[in-house]
Amino acid sequence: MKTRIIFSCVVLFAALFNMAVQAMDKDRVVELKAAKDATIAFRIVFNAGSQYDPVGKEGLSYLTSRMLSEGSTTKNSYDSVLKKLFPFAAGYDISLSREISVFTGRVHKDNLKPYLALFTEQMLMPAFKADELERVRQDALNYLTNDLRYSSDEELGKASLYNSVYKGTAYSHVDVGTVSGLTAITMDDIKSFYNTYYNRSNFTLGIGGGYDAKTLETVWKAFEKLPEGKKAIAPVINTQKVEGYKVLLVEKKAAATAISMGFPIDLVRGSKDWYALAIANSWLGEHRNSSSHLYQVIRERRGLNYGDYSYIEHYPNGGRVQLPMVNVPRRHHLFEIWIRPVPNETAHFALRAALREYQALVAKGMSKDEFELTRKFLKNYVLQYAPTSSKRLGYALDDKFYGIKNGHIAMYREMMDKVTLEDVNNAIKKYLQDKNMAIAMICDNAAELKKNLASNVVSPMKYTSPKADEILKEDELISTFKLPILEENIQIVKVDEMFK
Amino acid sequence: MKRMLYFVLTICLAGLTGTMAKEKSGKIFPYEYKKVVLPNGFKAILIPFDSPGLVSYYTVVRTGSRDEWEEGKSGFAHFFEHMMFRGTDRFPGNVYDSEVTSMGADANAYTDDDLTVYHLNLSNEYLEKVMDMESDRFQNRHYTKEQFQTESGAVYGEYRKSRTSPWEVAFEAYRDMAFDKHTYKHTTIGFERDIKEMPNMYDYSVSFYNRYYRPSNCVLVIVGDFNFDKVSKWITKYYGPWKPGYVAPKIEKEPAQTAQRKTEVTYDGKTLPLAILAYKTDAFDVKNKKFLALSYVSDLCFGETSPLYKKLVLDEQKVQSLSSNAAMARDPYAFEIYVQVKNAADMDYVLGEIRSAIKQLADKPVDAKLLDELKKRSKYQFLMALDNNNSVAGILPRFVTLTGDIDVIDELYTASEMITPADVQDAVKHYFIPANENLVTLKGK
Repeated sequence: MKTRIIFSCVVLFAALFNMAVQAMDKDRVVELKAAKDATIAFRIVFNAGSQYDPVGKEGLSYLTSRMLSEGSTTKNSYDSVLKKLFPFAAGYDISLSREISVFTGRVHKDNLKPYLALFTEQMLMPAFKADELERVRQDALNYLTNDLRYSSDEELGKASLYNSVYKGTAYSHVDVGTVSGLTAITMDDIKSFYNTYYNRSNFTLGIGGGYDAKTLETVWKAFEKLPEGKKAIAPVINTQKVEGYKVLLVEKKAAATAISMGFPIDLVRGSKDWYALAIANSWLGEHRNSSSHLYQVIRERRGLNYGDYSYIEHYPNGGRVQLPMVNVPRRHHLFEIWIRPVPNETAHFALRAALREYQALVAKGMSKDEFELTRKFLKNYVLQYAPTSSKRLGYALDDKFYGIKNGHIAMYREMMDKVTLEDVNNAIKKYLQDKNMAIAMICDNAAELKKNLASNVVSPMKYTSPKADEILKEDELISTFKLPILEENIQIVKVDEMFK
Repeated sequence: MKRMLYFVLTICLAGLTGTMAKEKSGKIFPYEYKKVVLPNGFKAILIPFDSPGLVSYYTVVRTGSRDEWEEGKSGFAHFFEHMMFRGTDRFPGNVYDSEVTSMGADANAYTDDDLTVYHLNLSNEYLEKVMDMESDRFQNRHYTKEQFQTESGAVYGEYRKSRTSPWEVAFEAYRDMAFDKHTYKHTTIGFERDIKEMPNMYDYSVSFYNRYYRPSNCVLVIVGDFNFDKVSKWITKYYGPWKPGYVAPKIEKEPAQTAQRKTEVTYDGKTLPLAILAYKTDAFDVKNKKFLALSYVSDLCFGETSPLYKKLVLDEQKVQSLSSNAAMARDPYAFEIYVQVKNAADMDYVLGEIRSAIKQLADKPVDAKLLDELKKRSKYQFLMALDNNNSVAGILPRFVTLTGDIDVIDELYTASEMITPADVQDAVKHYFIPANENLVTLKGK
């Protein structure tokens, strides 16, 4: 008798579940099951990134995301939410990037039910309290005016580069916003942004780990209760072409000079060309890896700084992460070179050294040996990219964004066998060039650096210890290497003028 | 084997699920492990993990900036970590790099007060090759004076990069003030004056290696998909010939602090004012209840759910950030509180509120239910962190350096479970006294 009841329940449940699944928009669900995983990961992607900030209200997407993740609900005050989550050692957050905001959470199976109630309540019933808006606004302003301007010159260098390359587009400002934008935002703006972008048609539900069908159904149904609305239409980004060498010198008191440079490339992951160019880029500047050629030339042989890398895809948080982040997708990317801070007196030399190596790659392409070693490296290295269910789920969602059917990592590995040296060198010719470059330098004496850059003055290297003849000879070539920088293309900005 | 391990994990988690509240003792570390100990004192801890094809390979040197006891040598353990990538006669730096590159391995290292860790994540097909290379560089390092001097520039670059953070500036000042004799006086990156002198210390670097990079001072941890018997044989083959010769550092004991210490520093940029308030404590000791209770004080008094956090951060909004660190160190160290205020005028008020929150914990035992919730949270926090072979390997070096092994994890779990509200109260009364206090405040320009 008992058996029959169980059987009936199973049939009934299956029928109900099927109905629910039919109601679910499968195109907007990304699943990544890992039955053995004792945890469940959620990533709810909204088309609500910083590119949707209205002009004059830069920072609206950021403040809205903080109000949702660090604010009270109509049922629970924020401190009461924290207390309820506390014993589960679980939390949730919203990470905001240019195109999307992602509501992320992870919980142990044991605590799923009470956690899920809080997780959905947070998104569906925000209280939008005035004092909480002031708290998150002050945090954001402090980040721009103190942290970003003063406490990390590397991040400042990158933000300055994007500011200048994407000037006049929705890709220009820092995700956190601008000082004037943040100051101008009202609670009505926040509510309006929430209703417009955190709507039931504007999300993709990602779920991974040891979940069951019922959980998926519960979460989907909950998020269906979001405000009505439409899928957001991403703004057109009309990036101006970088013409010649454009230098932005951001002046502040600093013992070392941070350098970031690059230009827009019309290429996103998923095409054969991207993977071909990824090989060239890895050879030139694999992120935080001693295999990087720039690292070898600038750090390993000369000890000028802590590291030197290059990118063909946006790579946020590079100072802290060893492997790429997930869920920071973009429609537009830069080719980018990152020179970690070098002593001020060597800044001109380091810039020349990096551009000389880059120009050599553009002119000569890769050699057979370099190509073979790098593609072998990447084929195995990308296996480290997604060790957890949550990270794999992140990749699956990014695959949806970029339209990669078989998955980026699988395709990456496959392409490392398919791409030829000719493909790589063709991709270099097609996408890389050395005629146009935007350069941002965070420096102390900007007027002097401007004079030196514009006059192409010799920048000899002085070492405190002996160096091999081979390095000294190469130094002579580097120190006189001509950079096509015109005085009128060098702009000096005081650090306190940035991000206004 | 894999299946069995999964079974063990499931049982452990089921145990946590069903009997969480009642459980008073047990195991927290959910994986089986075996050890290989060689006659030269070298130890390897091998942990099979369901990570098909992947292995994490961590070599823990139980030497960090704590071991820099000679005058003028601060920052050397970290500098030496850099030098270990310059290779050997068999695998010179460029060969080591290209081998690691061709394997697609993720290789790096880090140093802190008590340890230096060299770690790789790799495909298991290269495990023997990696063991050959890693054991070689620990026994036969070779670099030229010129390479040594060049690398000191990279270390200086790392110092400059970090120095832009006001927290780094305050932290350096705090350690210098709080310790007179013990090597915790300097931070891991070292004093700038010592970093400048590094290019002249080639001979010292050889001595450093010869004294500390010895088998009895190093522990290998491998986590992932491997064959135990094969790996055991390789360990004997590759690490067996390593000659003993460890010489312990002559670290001076820190005299007991007798009065409150304070200093003010200026940051050469703009920042919100901040403070580090620290109370001297003991060395890590799993049998010291007062010490173990400190990890709970951290959450109870300064965590996001504490009344103090609610008051200062959420309600009054006078504080930008508030956190604390109940550090587990090899020698007596400190409990640190970090606070950043929005207005300089509020600093004294905020410090007063912090001290009165501490006093409340000293005056009245904490609610037992709250403490139980905290214990439950700690368990889940630990278990949820163990989500892949690298994260399992990554949490172990701390325990390895403190005790030479990882058995202490379960001991620590059992002992921490037994901590009562009275123990927490005793700990606060014992450590958080004016004579133990160190305060550094920092202002921007």
